[in-house]
Amino acid sequence: MAAESSPFLNVEGLTIRFGGLTAVGGLDMAVAKGSIHALIGPNGAGKSTTFNCISRFYTPSAGRITYDGRDITRMPAREMAGLGIARSFQNLELFGELSVFENVLIGAHVHAGRSWRDAISARPRGIVEHVEQLLERTGLTSYAQTKARNLDFGHQKMVEIARALAIRPKLLLLDEPAAGLRNREIAALDRLLCELRERDGLTILLVEHVMQLVMSISDKITVLSFGTKIAEGTAAEVRANPAVIEAYLGREAVQEAAHG
Amino acid sequence: MDLQLALIFLQQGIASGLVSGSVYALLALAIVVIFKTSDVPNFAQGEVFMAAGYVALYLFVFQKMPIWVVLPATLAIAFLAMALFRRFVLDQVAKSAKDLVYLVIATLGLSYVLKGLVRRTGFGDTPRSFPALVSTDSVMIGQASVTMLDLAIFGAAVTVMAAFFWMFNYTKTGRAMRAVGMNPKAAQLVGVDLRRCHMLIWGLSGVISAIAALLISPKILMTADMGSIVMLAFAAAIVGGFSSLPGAVVGGFVIGIVENMVGLFISSRAIVLAPFLAILIVLVLRPQGLFGGKLTIKKV
Amino acid sequence: MSSTPLDSPATARRALSGPALIGLVAAALVAVALPVFTSGYVVYIANLLLVFVVLCLGLHIVIGETGQFSMAHAAFYGIGIYASALANRAVDLPYPVAMLFGALVAGAVGLFIGALALRMRDIYLALATFAFGEAMQWVFANWDSVTNGPNGLRISPARFGPIDILSDKQAYPFVLFFCLVMIGLTVAISRSRLGRSFRAVRESEVAAMAMGIDVRRARIVSFGLSAAIAGFAGGMFGLFQTFIHPDSLGFQTTILVLTMVVVGGLGSIAGAIGGAIVFGLISEVLRQAPQYQEIIYGAILILFMMYAPRGLFAFIGDRIREARHGR
Repeated sequence: MAAESSPFLNVEGLTIRFGGLTAVGGLDMAVAKGSIHALIGPNGAGKSTTFNCISRFYTPSAGRITYDGRDITRMPAREMAGLGIARSFQNLELFGELSVFENVLIGAHVHAGRSWRDAISARPRGIVEHVEQLLERTGLTSYAQTKARNLDFGHQKMVEIARALAIRPKLLLLDEPAAGLRNREIAALDRLLCELRERDGLTILLVEHVMQLVMSISDKITVLSFGTKIAEGTAAEVRANPAVIEAYLGREAVQEAAHG
Repeated sequence: MDLQLALIFLQQGIASGLVSGSVYALLALAIVVIFKTSDVPNFAQGEVFMAAGYVALYLFVFQKMPIWVVLPATLAIAFLAMALFRRFVLDQVAKSAKDLVYLVIATLGLSYVLKGLVRRTGFGDTPRSFPALVSTDSVMIGQASVTMLDLAIFGAAVTVMAAFFWMFNYTKTGRAMRAVGMNPKAAQLVGVDLRRCHMLIWGLSGVISAIAALLISPKILMTADMGSIVMLAFAAAIVGGFSSLPGAVVGGFVIGIVENMVGLFISSRAIVLAPFLAILIVLVLRPQGLFGGKLTIKKV
Repeated sequence: MSSTPLDSPATARRALSGPALIGLVAAALVAVALPVFTSGYVVYIANLLLVFVVLCLGLHIVIGETGQFSMAHAAFYGIGIYASALANRAVDLPYPVAMLFGALVAGAVGLFIGALALRMRDIYLALATFAFGEAMQWVFANWDSVTNGPNGLRISPARFGPIDILSDKQAYPFVLFFCLVMIGLTVAISRSRLGRSFRAVRESEVAAMAMGIDVRRARIVSFGLSAAIAGFAGGMFGLFQTFIHPDSLGFQTTILVLTMVVVGGLGSIAGAIGGAIVFGLISEVLRQAPQYQEIIYGAILILFMMYAPRGLFAFIGDRIREARHGR
């Protein structure tokens, strides 16, 4: 058995305060390389806030975030792509007026600047092939020339993911990727994420409410409530954890579970 | 410049500034009430102001109608014109395209049409003057010299502003307008007729602009270009924080005073530049203006 | 706002299809034959329209591509006019050098304004840039020692080696050439990684950041490029005009260019070019009827916004598509 290596993404003592309110207090979370790690919790738990800190859209009041050995706690958000960290957005931040193809192509921005020829070209060689592959993997090939804002919701969410993948990330941060999806689409997402883990060796951190997806694919789950971690472990462990049940369903539900 | 003179200029600047500032404040109110409720900066505001002045001029001087007919007639025409423009032009534009820029360009179109119409009627060719209805005898306030007309202008403007604030904050109509500005969909859900409300808002804005025109016309030379005063109103609105109504009023007085001070202490050539510098300084250093509150960060 | 992407092969094929190709060839023939078969006045108008095309291209970069509503365009145009005219007078180099100088000065000011404008959006950006434009016009009219103030500035003839350009017909081939170069440059920028970053910033700054785009840099650069192109148009102005007065460098001109771009179709280069030509012709025709000029102009703006806000070409394209496929 190989020695326990340091976590790929390590959050230590993360504290985020907005004015007088402490949204997240002293969170420790370690994400192992090549795993799918879920961050769940009832509304207002601080999941998105934590997520936005990791992706550097907010800056923590205290604590440290380490990625692949590097301290990224105060790095500007736009440097994330260059480091191989990609993210999607809860409220979809697509380039609405642009085609699906162009959306994903822009995702490869950091790679298109490597040579003069690539930077000037409308269709930089190697990158266009990669984009077309991504479109195929996410089932978007037939929509390549459609304006992103004209797609249906499920496909739009796929565009966000395809665009994030164009960064060629090592760490993929997904903010509620399954929200609003139909069962069929959730199943497709499930397959895609597992494929990304197995085939591409991606590390994935997702914030999610849709439990069927979380329980199905997560290697490890961290549960937040009111800004603190109340449980952590595998799907089975977390599901049976009384603190988790209480946080979601209240104390009575725990008592029912104990007596039922 | 010696201290004596500086003090006189200071008082004069403030006194004159408050008078013209009260008119800028009215115009700024007219602009902000539309912007606050529909996010549209009305670039025709100056021309509405100008056209209302000419309507009054026409009725009073050329048709020789009595003043107690001219005043309400002018206000009614301004109200109708703006309300109908909102209803028949802007509603249609909003239907065709969601982006604000198209609405703004439509207001620009209105400004051209109004200016062209006034010029076409021949009245706009030579500068005109509107007869003063209050005496222009001077009155001394401290060491500053103002006229009775000035005092009347200031008084009337402040009264109109007070009436407006009362309406906006304490009547059902005002509440509806505020609701529409905050959340049009929610306002609709609780029964506000959006179309009528927008018409009312634009009509009200027209009335306020018309009043501003009636107040200041006796003091200035009327030309078809007098709508350019709107820049001072925009500057006032920005200084106050573009979505703040009290801010618009305070901004108006500030701009009026600054304008007069610049004229007195620097040069009359520089007066034209003052509002633009004011806009730039405020937007670069404190974009939310005096009353705009904190800048919001977008939620991701 | 953007119409079809320029980077897909399907679009390229469509663009060069039958009617479009014929139209392009016809336009080219007209352009070449113009000075031979028409009067000096017509050629003067053509020169003017070509300058407006370049102005529209500049505005397209900052508004159409990057979504920043800059209302300072006439100011950069004016800087280019004055700077190139003064350089032409001061130094005995070929005129294109003066033109480049004008573009560089305008571009530098544009970068500065772009940096100041970083915190501003939408209406505030529009008002701030408008205020800057008006302030600049005041400078043109009052900086007597440099610009000759309210008397305007005489522009010396452009010199290309031994040739002095002294008429509209003489200037025309150069004006046309420079216009085509600017069109090519704008298309190249639009298709490049830089252009993509502009559009990304326009659509979603937040997502652009996540893709590794330096949003602040993109916004500043777009301002600078836009200003430089407007400044270059100013240099083109000097090829066939002999005089500049600060009165023509204010809000009116900026609005004219804005409406050209919007009427042509915001977000597309073809729209910017088409809008310049069509609206330029309209405003020139209207100049013949000064009594109704403003009324008709305003009415056209209003009607366009009511019924064809996405621009003339989108409107025509929709009607053609409807006719072809039936309702």
